[in-house]
Amino acid sequence: MVARTFPRNLGALEAIYAFHREFVAACGIDPEVAYDLDVIAEELFTNMVKYGRGGRREIEIELEWAAPTLAIRLRDFDVERFDPTAAPPVDTSRPIAERRAGGLGIHLVRQIADRIDYDYQGRDSTITVTKKVVSS
Amino acid sequence: MFEIRVLEPGTIRLAGRLDASEAERVAQELLAIQGSVRMDCSELDYISSAGIGVLIELFKRLQSSGHTLTLVNLLPRVRNIFRYAGLDRLLTIE
Repeated sequence: MVARTFPRNLGALEAIYAFHREFVAACGIDPEVAYDLDVIAEELFTNMVKYGRGGRREIEIELEWAAPTLAIRLRDFDVERFDPTAAPPVDTSRPIAERRAGGLGIHLVRQIADRIDYDYQGRDSTITVTKKVVSS
Repeated sequence: MFEIRVLEPGTIRLAGRLDASEAERVAQELLAIQGSVRMDCSELDYISSAGIGVLIELFKRLQSSGHTLTLVNLLPRVRNIFRYAGLDRLLTIE
Protein backbone atom coordinates (compact mmCIF):
# COMPACT_ATOMS: atom_id res chain seq x y z
CA MET A 1 0.00 0.00 0.00
CA VAL A 2 1.28 3.44 -0.96
CA ALA A 3 -0.32 6.77 -0.10
CA ARG A 4 0.49 10.24 -1.34
CA THR A 5 -1.14 13.63 -0.97
CA PHE A 6 -1.87 16.07 -3.77
CA PRO A 7 -2.81 19.75 -3.78
CA ARG A 8 -6.53 20.43 -4.10
CA ASN A 9 -6.48 21.73 -7.67
CA LEU A 10 -6.69 20.32 -11.18
CA GLY A 11 -3.04 21.13 -11.77
CA ALA A 12 -2.29 18.08 -9.60
CA LEU A 13 -3.63 15.65 -12.20
CA GLU A 14 -0.28 15.25 -13.98
CA ALA A 15 1.38 14.21 -10.71
CA ILE A 16 -1.48 11.81 -9.97
CA TYR A 17 -1.06 10.14 -13.37
CA ALA A 18 2.68 9.80 -12.71
CA PHE A 19 1.92 8.23 -9.30
CA HIS A 20 -0.25 5.59 -11.03
CA ARG A 21 2.48 4.70 -13.52
CA GLU A 22 5.08 4.42 -10.81
CA PHE A 23 2.78 2.14 -8.81
CA VAL A 24 1.73 -0.25 -11.61
CA ALA A 25 5.36 -0.57 -12.73
CA ALA A 26 6.48 -1.41 -9.18
CA CYS A 27 3.72 -4.02 -8.85
CA GLY A 28 4.28 -5.56 -12.31
CA ILE A 29 0.73 -4.74 -13.40
CA ASP A 30 -0.13 -4.25 -17.09
CA PRO A 31 0.75 -0.58 -17.80
CA GLU A 32 -2.58 -0.16 -19.58
CA VAL A 33 -4.28 -0.47 -16.17
CA ALA A 34 -2.80 2.90 -15.25
CA TYR A 35 -5.29 4.52 -17.64
CA ASP A 36 -8.18 2.98 -15.70
CA LEU A 37 -6.68 4.40 -12.52
CA ASP A 38 -6.34 7.78 -14.26
CA VAL A 39 -10.05 7.91 -15.12
CA ILE A 40 -11.15 6.74 -11.67
CA ALA A 41 -8.86 9.16 -9.84
CA GLU A 42 -9.54 12.10 -12.14
CA GLU A 43 -13.31 11.80 -11.86
CA LEU A 44 -13.32 11.39 -8.07
CA PHE A 45 -10.54 13.90 -7.41
CA THR A 46 -12.28 16.49 -9.59
CA ASN A 47 -15.51 15.95 -7.65
CA MET A 48 -13.64 16.51 -4.40
CA VAL A 49 -12.01 19.69 -5.71
CA LYS A 50 -15.37 21.03 -6.91
CA TYR A 51 -17.66 19.91 -4.09
CA GLY A 52 -15.48 19.18 -1.04
CA ARG A 53 -16.55 22.20 0.96
CA GLY A 54 -14.26 23.26 3.75
CA GLY A 55 -11.59 20.72 2.96
CA ARG A 56 -7.90 20.91 3.74
CA ARG A 57 -5.43 21.98 1.10
CA GLU A 58 -4.50 18.41 0.14
CA ILE A 59 -6.31 15.22 -0.88
CA GLU A 60 -4.81 11.81 -0.20
CA ILE A 61 -4.69 9.00 -2.74
CA GLU A 62 -3.81 5.50 -1.63
CA LEU A 63 -3.10 2.57 -3.96
CA GLU A 64 -3.12 -1.06 -2.90
CA TRP A 65 -2.40 -4.23 -4.86
CA ALA A 66 -3.40 -7.64 -3.55
CA ALA A 67 -3.44 -9.73 -6.73
CA PRO A 68 -5.72 -9.82 -8.54
CA THR A 69 -7.43 -6.88 -6.82
CA LEU A 70 -6.35 -3.28 -7.25
CA ALA A 71 -7.75 -0.69 -4.86
CA ILE A 72 -7.61 3.08 -5.08
CA ARG A 73 -8.77 5.16 -2.16
CA LEU A 74 -9.27 8.93 -2.17
CA ARG A 75 -9.58 10.71 1.14
CA ASP A 76 -10.72 14.31 1.58
CA PHE A 77 -10.12 15.60 5.10
CA ASP A 78 -12.34 17.86 7.18
CA VAL A 79 -15.09 18.32 4.60
CA GLU A 80 -18.86 18.29 4.54
CA ARG A 81 -20.40 15.03 3.41
CA PHE A 82 -20.52 14.57 -0.34
CA ASP A 83 -21.25 11.09 -1.63
CA PRO A 84 -20.81 10.87 -5.42
CA THR A 85 -21.93 7.24 -5.36
CA ALA A 86 -25.43 8.46 -4.47
CA ALA A 87 -25.73 10.10 -7.90
CA PRO A 88 -28.54 8.58 -9.99
CA PRO A 89 -27.49 6.36 -12.89
CA VAL A 90 -26.89 8.04 -16.25
CA ASP A 91 -29.34 7.03 -18.95
CA THR A 92 -26.94 6.35 -21.82
CA SER A 93 -29.84 5.66 -24.18
CA ARG A 94 -30.90 9.33 -24.23
CA PRO A 95 -30.36 11.27 -27.46
CA ILE A 96 -27.15 13.24 -27.56
CA ALA A 97 -29.05 16.53 -27.74
CA GLU A 98 -30.29 15.82 -24.21
CA ARG A 99 -26.90 14.78 -22.87
CA ARG A 100 -24.91 16.79 -20.37
CA ALA A 101 -21.52 15.99 -18.85
CA GLY A 102 -22.97 16.07 -15.32
CA GLY A 103 -23.02 12.64 -13.70
CA LEU A 104 -20.98 11.09 -16.48
CA GLY A 105 -17.81 10.97 -14.37
CA ILE A 106 -19.18 8.67 -11.67
CA HIS A 107 -20.87 6.67 -14.43
CA LEU A 108 -17.47 6.02 -16.04
CA VAL A 109 -16.04 4.99 -12.65
CA ARG A 110 -18.93 2.54 -12.20
CA GLN A 111 -18.25 1.08 -15.65
CA ILE A 112 -14.53 0.58 -15.01
CA ALA A 113 -14.67 -0.56 -11.39
CA ASP A 114 -16.01 -3.69 -9.77
CA ARG A 115 -16.98 -1.95 -6.56
CA ILE A 116 -17.25 1.58 -5.11
CA ASP A 117 -17.65 2.30 -1.41
CA TYR A 118 -18.18 5.63 0.28
CA ASP A 119 -17.41 6.31 3.93
CA TYR A 120 -17.80 9.49 5.98
CA GLN A 121 -16.38 9.60 9.50
CA GLY A 122 -15.07 12.45 11.62
CA ARG A 123 -15.59 14.89 8.72
CA ASP A 124 -13.30 12.78 6.50
CA SER A 125 -14.76 11.66 3.19
CA THR A 126 -13.32 8.44 1.76
CA ILE A 127 -14.09 6.71 -1.51
CA THR A 128 -12.64 3.27 -2.17
CA VAL A 129 -12.77 1.77 -5.65
CA THR A 130 -11.69 -1.78 -6.36
CA LYS A 131 -11.07 -3.57 -9.63
CA LYS A 132 -9.86 -7.06 -10.46
CA VAL A 133 -7.05 -7.05 -13.01
CA VAL A 134 -4.76 -9.58 -14.60
CA SER A 135 -1.10 -9.07 -13.71
CA SER A 136 1.27 -9.14 -16.69
CA MET B 1 -0.61 18.16 -22.31
CA PHE B 2 -3.14 18.32 -25.11
CA GLU B 3 -2.84 19.71 -28.63
CA ILE B 4 -5.08 20.28 -31.61
CA ARG B 5 -3.35 20.19 -34.99
CA VAL B 6 -4.93 21.08 -38.31
CA LEU B 7 -4.01 18.37 -40.83
CA GLU B 8 -5.96 19.82 -43.76
CA PRO B 9 -9.12 21.89 -44.09
CA GLY B 10 -11.89 20.00 -42.27
CA THR B 11 -9.54 17.54 -40.60
CA ILE B 12 -7.83 17.98 -37.25
CA ARG B 13 -5.78 15.71 -35.02
CA LEU B 14 -6.25 15.53 -31.27
CA ALA B 15 -3.07 14.62 -29.40
CA GLY B 16 -2.39 13.99 -25.72
CA ARG B 17 -4.74 13.93 -22.76
CA LEU B 18 -8.12 15.60 -22.83
CA ASP B 19 -8.92 15.81 -19.14
CA ALA B 20 -10.49 18.22 -16.64
CA SER B 21 -7.38 20.40 -16.52
CA GLU B 22 -7.53 21.01 -20.30
CA ALA B 23 -11.28 20.97 -20.98
CA GLU B 24 -11.97 24.68 -20.62
CA ARG B 25 -9.06 25.76 -22.82
CA VAL B 26 -9.89 23.13 -25.47
CA ALA B 27 -13.58 24.12 -25.50
CA GLN B 28 -12.49 27.67 -26.31
CA GLU B 29 -10.17 26.51 -29.10
CA LEU B 30 -12.88 24.34 -30.65
CA LEU B 31 -15.14 27.38 -31.00
CA ALA B 32 -13.05 28.17 -34.09
CA ILE B 33 -14.61 25.16 -35.83
CA GLN B 34 -17.58 26.37 -37.84
CA GLY B 35 -18.13 23.53 -40.30
CA SER B 36 -18.11 19.75 -40.54
CA VAL B 37 -14.96 18.29 -39.08
CA ARG B 38 -13.14 14.99 -39.04
CA MET B 39 -11.10 14.37 -35.89
CA ASP B 40 -8.14 12.02 -36.10
CA CYS B 41 -7.83 10.55 -32.59
CA SER B 42 -4.83 8.30 -33.27
CA GLU B 43 -2.73 10.36 -30.82
CA LEU B 44 -5.48 10.96 -28.28
CA ASP B 45 -4.01 9.00 -25.37
CA TYR B 46 -6.71 9.61 -22.84
CA ILE B 47 -10.13 11.13 -22.36
CA SER B 48 -12.34 11.56 -19.29
CA SER B 49 -15.87 12.83 -18.74
CA ALA B 50 -14.61 16.41 -18.96
CA GLY B 51 -13.21 15.75 -22.43
CA ILE B 52 -16.33 13.87 -23.48
CA GLY B 53 -18.36 16.89 -22.38
CA VAL B 54 -16.31 19.18 -24.62
CA LEU B 55 -16.90 16.95 -27.64
CA ILE B 56 -20.62 16.62 -26.86
CA GLU B 57 -20.96 20.41 -26.83
CA LEU B 58 -19.06 20.67 -30.11
CA PHE B 59 -21.26 17.97 -31.65
CA LYS B 60 -24.44 19.75 -30.56
CA ARG B 61 -23.24 23.09 -31.91
CA LEU B 62 -22.23 21.63 -35.28
CA GLN B 63 -25.40 19.57 -35.56
CA SER B 64 -27.59 22.61 -34.92
CA SER B 65 -26.06 24.29 -37.97
CA GLY B 66 -26.31 21.22 -40.19
CA HIS B 67 -22.67 20.13 -39.85
CA THR B 68 -21.13 16.84 -38.76
CA LEU B 69 -18.46 15.61 -36.37
CA THR B 70 -16.66 12.39 -37.23
CA LEU B 71 -14.12 10.69 -34.96
CA VAL B 72 -11.58 8.35 -36.53
CA ASN B 73 -8.68 6.15 -35.41
CA LEU B 74 -9.56 5.93 -31.72
CA LEU B 75 -7.25 3.91 -29.51
CA PRO B 76 -9.08 0.96 -27.89
CA ARG B 77 -8.96 2.49 -24.39
CA VAL B 78 -10.39 5.78 -25.70
CA ARG B 79 -13.06 3.96 -27.68
CA ASN B 80 -13.98 2.10 -24.47
CA ILE B 81 -14.65 5.41 -22.72
CA PHE B 82 -17.01 6.43 -25.53
CA ARG B 83 -18.67 3.02 -25.27
CA TYR B 84 -19.07 3.28 -21.49
CA ALA B 85 -20.65 6.70 -22.00
CA GLY B 86 -23.05 5.23 -24.58
CA LEU B 87 -21.71 7.60 -27.21
CA ASP B 88 -20.31 5.01 -29.60
CA ARG B 89 -23.88 4.56 -30.89
CA LEU B 90 -24.70 8.27 -31.05
CA LEU B 91 -21.56 9.86 -32.48
CA THR B 92 -20.06 8.95 -35.86
CA ILE B 93 -16.98 6.90 -35.03
CA GLU B 94 -14.99 5.22 -37.78
